[in-house]
Amino acid sequence: MSRGGLIRYFLRRFAMAVPLLLIISFGVFALIHAAPGDPVRALLGTRPARPETIAAIRERFNLDDPFLVQYGKWLWRVLHGDLGRAIRGDQLITRAIGDRLGLTIYLTLYSTAIILGLGIALGAMAAFRRGSRLDRIVVMLGVFGVSSPSFVTGIFLLYFFGVVLGLFPTFGAGHGFLDRAWHLTLPALALALSVMAIVVKITRASVIEELGKDYVAFGRARGLGSARIIFAYLLRNALIPVVTAAGLVIVGVVAGAIYVEVTFALPGLGSLIVDAVQNRDIPMIQGTTLFLSAFVIVVHLLIDIVYVLIDPRIRYGRVEA
Amino acid sequence: MSVPIDLSALPSARVAASGRRGTSLLIHAAVFIVGLVVICAALGPAIAPGSPDTQRLLVGDALPSAEFWAGTDLLGRDVLSRTIVGARTALVGPIIVAAGAFAIATLLGLLAGYLGGLVDTVVMRWVDFMFALPGPLVAIVVVGVVGGGYWTAVAVLVALFVPADTRIVRSAVLAQRPLPYIEAARTLGISKARILFVHILPNVLPIVCAYVVLDFAFALVNLAGLSFLGLGVQPGTADWGRMLFENRNILFSNPVALLLPALMIILTAGSINLIGDWVYERFSAQ
Amino acid sequence: MIDSAQPAAGEFLLDVRRLSISAVTGGERRAITVGTDLRVAKGETVGIVGESGSGKSMTAKAIVRLLPANVSASGEVHFGGRDLLALTERELREIRGSRISLLFQDPFTMLNPLLKCGMHIEEVLPRTPVLRTGRQRMAEVQRRLAEVGITDADVAHRLPFQLSGGMGQRVALAAALARDPELLIADEPSTALDVTTQAEILKLLARVQGQRGMSMILITHDLRLAFSSCDRVYVLYAGSLLEVGGAGEIEREPFHPYTLGLLLSEPPAAKRVPRLVAIRGSVASADAVAGSCSFAPRCDWARESCRSARPPLAETEPGRFTACIRQGEIRAEMQAMRRRAFENGAAAAMVASADTAPLVRVTGVGKIFEGRRGRHVHALKEASIEIHPGESVGLVGESGSGKTTLGRCVVGLETPSAGAIEIGGITAADYAALSPAQRAQVRRTVQMVFQDPYSTLNPRHSVRRCLLEALRMAGGTAPTDEQVVALLREVGLPETYIGRRPAALSGGERQRVAIARALAVRPKILVCDEPVSSLDVSVQAQILNLFKRLQEQLGLSYLFITHDLAVVRQVAERVYVLYLGEIVEHGATEEVMTRPQHPYTRRLLESIPHSAAAGAP
Repeated sequence: MSRGGLIRYFLRRFAMAVPLLLIISFGVFALIHAAPGDPVRALLGTRPARPETIAAIRERFNLDDPFLVQYGKWLWRVLHGDLGRAIRGDQLITRAIGDRLGLTIYLTLYSTAIILGLGIALGAMAAFRRGSRLDRIVVMLGVFGVSSPSFVTGIFLLYFFGVVLGLFPTFGAGHGFLDRAWHLTLPALALALSVMAIVVKITRASVIEELGKDYVAFGRARGLGSARIIFAYLLRNALIPVVTAAGLVIVGVVAGAIYVEVTFALPGLGSLIVDAVQNRDIPMIQGTTLFLSAFVIVVHLLIDIVYVLIDPRIRYGRVEA
Repeated sequence: MSVPIDLSALPSARVAASGRRGTSLLIHAAVFIVGLVVICAALGPAIAPGSPDTQRLLVGDALPSAEFWAGTDLLGRDVLSRTIVGARTALVGPIIVAAGAFAIATLLGLLAGYLGGLVDTVVMRWVDFMFALPGPLVAIVVVGVVGGGYWTAVAVLVALFVPADTRIVRSAVLAQRPLPYIEAARTLGISKARILFVHILPNVLPIVCAYVVLDFAFALVNLAGLSFLGLGVQPGTADWGRMLFENRNILFSNPVALLLPALMIILTAGSINLIGDWVYERFSAQ
Repeated sequence: MIDSAQPAAGEFLLDVRRLSISAVTGGERRAITVGTDLRVAKGETVGIVGESGSGKSMTAKAIVRLLPANVSASGEVHFGGRDLLALTERELREIRGSRISLLFQDPFTMLNPLLKCGMHIEEVLPRTPVLRTGRQRMAEVQRRLAEVGITDADVAHRLPFQLSGGMGQRVALAAALARDPELLIADEPSTALDVTTQAEILKLLARVQGQRGMSMILITHDLRLAFSSCDRVYVLYAGSLLEVGGAGEIEREPFHPYTLGLLLSEPPAAKRVPRLVAIRGSVASADAVAGSCSFAPRCDWARESCRSARPPLAETEPGRFTACIRQGEIRAEMQAMRRRAFENGAAAAMVASADTAPLVRVTGVGKIFEGRRGRHVHALKEASIEIHPGESVGLVGESGSGKTTLGRCVVGLETPSAGAIEIGGITAADYAALSPAQRAQVRRTVQMVFQDPYSTLNPRHSVRRCLLEALRMAGGTAPTDEQVVALLREVGLPETYIGRRPAALSGGERQRVAIARALAVRPKILVCDEPVSSLDVSVQAQILNLFKRLQEQLGLSYLFITHDLAVVRQVAERVYVLYLGEIVEHGATEEVMTRPQHPYTRRLLESIPHSAAAGAP
């Protein structure tokens, strides 16, 4: 693909993301009416049902307008960065998200680093020493990682390292970079172990597949050293499927973050969403869901771009046989 | 939290289990555990030592004792009984999710893969769309807002699992379609329907069955997760995820109330995953 | 080629003794080769000839110790004064590439898909003062590419998938030779390539070898190729060496029934024979024939003595070894068999009456495949062919010629973009446009046999189920088991096969079932797309004989699609030669093959490996 073709590809992918976001925004918006009962009741929350309050709600949420107009007005506000106010406490939703975003990002990045670093290393090592004890242990770890969702792993880690051994704090997010790291280690590990299993599985399968291929044998036959074979031959080729699985990893991390934040009582974006859902705080649910969905879609887009860049076969275009 | 992985997109099979002898032992253990859970689900109240619902507010959360082998929870209920009875919701919902997703996805995947053209485009656009959504988040939000608890969660999970399974079935169908035996059938004039169901489906079914098992494990984990957030089963139901929700604050007084259901989730889902991997390998090796 | 006299002992570059290779799968050990000896002198080309399961590729890997993890080798491999099997991995790394190098079959899997072509050479170049800077190294890379016939400087910067098969193989060769080894082991280096490219690559190998004074081991399944390219030949079957000797000598007179059988199984390009001499049965695995002569089960001359123990290689004449203990006795019979096979060659071919209306008439058919983003592939351009009732027609071409596309258009698996097809009087270019009755009629006139025997049958259906279904499409009453058995008998399979599944059948047997399936509707013409190319040589002859017999018995016509002119000669009366989607020549097979008009046809004929010895067909 020429440079022009590459740019056109990016633009096309970007253009595809827009309708996706619109559909999601529509779905998120329709939640008000999906909730059982009268939307007004839902939006009232715990406040007393006085006529003035009800009128104010009808006004603010345009409930007297036809459905599509309501959507249009809501979307307009959203595009201007106004996600409205929460029912509980009446705080600005954008402010609420902003306050908690930092923690969630820290947790997610910490976790992703463990997932990729440890996951790829373990997967590759297990593949090189296939059939050995290390391999069997890694595979077992993989199975249980996949079977143990982050909140379950979190509970076990919390109990053994937090309560029994007392090495890590059991709740709270800490202040300052290092203190935060200490507080977030158990949550990040809990999150990482579940998602890492997928990365380990895919890396291991991929490396094993490459090991059996002719080009590796041909490289060795020509006298290439192990280092070159491992890095320029095996890993470079084996990691491509791992990148394609990155989408799964992202979804796993985002979802896991939600559960982990609840388990460890961390004041992040995830627990904000869960609180909102448990309390039926519709505007808050809408705002946070939209934000998180947009985030996931953007990340998918970036991964697609990275994938195209790292696999030259796509870049230079395959000639159809 | 994860969605079913498309193993057919993975490079090759025969990787999950390593040593031959070791696997057999492990698979036997896995089958044993699953069998145990099935018995608990079927006979629950009959084999539980006590009633799962009786509250003993004066006793409160107590450590394991001779009377209550796993102790009691915050409301004084017998943890062991609740765990045994909880096997029911751990199995019933996931079975429905796996079976439902499997049936729908197989049909969609067969049609999209074999017919191609508009059908394929429409189905795959929808699949791509679903993949772009953060599934677990959607589940949380929809179940939370719409309400309806357990069965809403089951329905939402079916809808979320179908796209991934459809992709898998479709890839399997696409792998079979250009093969000579299918082309020979076309040349003989055999009808499309017959080719799809008599020729392609049997060759695709083995791999798909392995995924159904894996789907089951994922459904188990996802449903427990929703209950953990208070969104799944009705309050008071004996359910492993719900127990984690109820007991998360008594970690210091009776950790068993938390650890036991957590352990059951891992063991059950893990055993099913092992069996699913084993089934996948057996069929890929053919 | 140097004189085929045996080099004096002690002068050998490579001396392999009692090499035995075995693999462990699923807890069981199975033998791959049993006690093979091999010697290569300086500058010599040695051929190892064998079919699938012979162990020839494993032998190559064993010599440089590149066997897969579950495979092990014992014996001695003497090279440069040391036993390679006793060296450490580090010591071996010194030898691999710089003294012995390996070249595989498929350039697209052999080269690192993410590494530029030039880098494959650059990465093994030593770091000497002369090759220090990037520019110096690049110049060296270009020089070596030029050595293998690549003069376009751009190639070094391309990725492997951007090259054609022939170019890729050249790059791979340059990479294999980058450290100037003394011995090159080439494992089927031309098999994955087109016929014309094959010839080029073999010529290139010979040239490079000569210029460098290098020794070469050429591994192949093609006896003819071995005879034309090698000085000495080793014949390997089911893990045992059966015959060793000079190429010309073996070709003139093989000393082992297997070699003779292999020689006779290859359809002669020079003339049409009424029946190929086929070796019965299928290729055995080493374990199955342990403790006896590995060829005994398929040998017409086998006696008890052959089955009681594995016969050793014995030197019957200076430089000629054979493992046939009856060689002296049966020598005269073997010679007679050979003479008979070629003497009867002048049998008249069936000439169809040209005045009857053609069964199939293809006029000006073209086919364009739409690639992604508007990239069109012009597979066929205005091709026209005719097939008369009772006659067989060959469609010859290499990959990209459009021959498969044409065959598929006739059967309805593709719809032509232009032109007309008439089958049995019915206009059948677009099968979808026909009425169901017409379509059924057309399908009962023409059927297809495919190339790959391993995917031509539904793995989950038994033979009975497969044939019953096909018989049902013939219309009429519900099919019976008797009809299935009759079909099986027609293709030479016993009744007991009826309940078997494809996994329990060999490649040749599967192809027979596929032919039976096609015959179930009693077609008048069979379109056969490379039906024997994926089979072992010894089995190919069986299936070709089957085709000939069916032709005579049932009055079948064939549209025989293949790249192999020798095969075409045996089966088809007329032949069309396709090149890049166009028919460049057509006529009676004998005529086209002895007096080719078009330069492409000539090139195709020249690509067939010539014999080493005079007087051999």
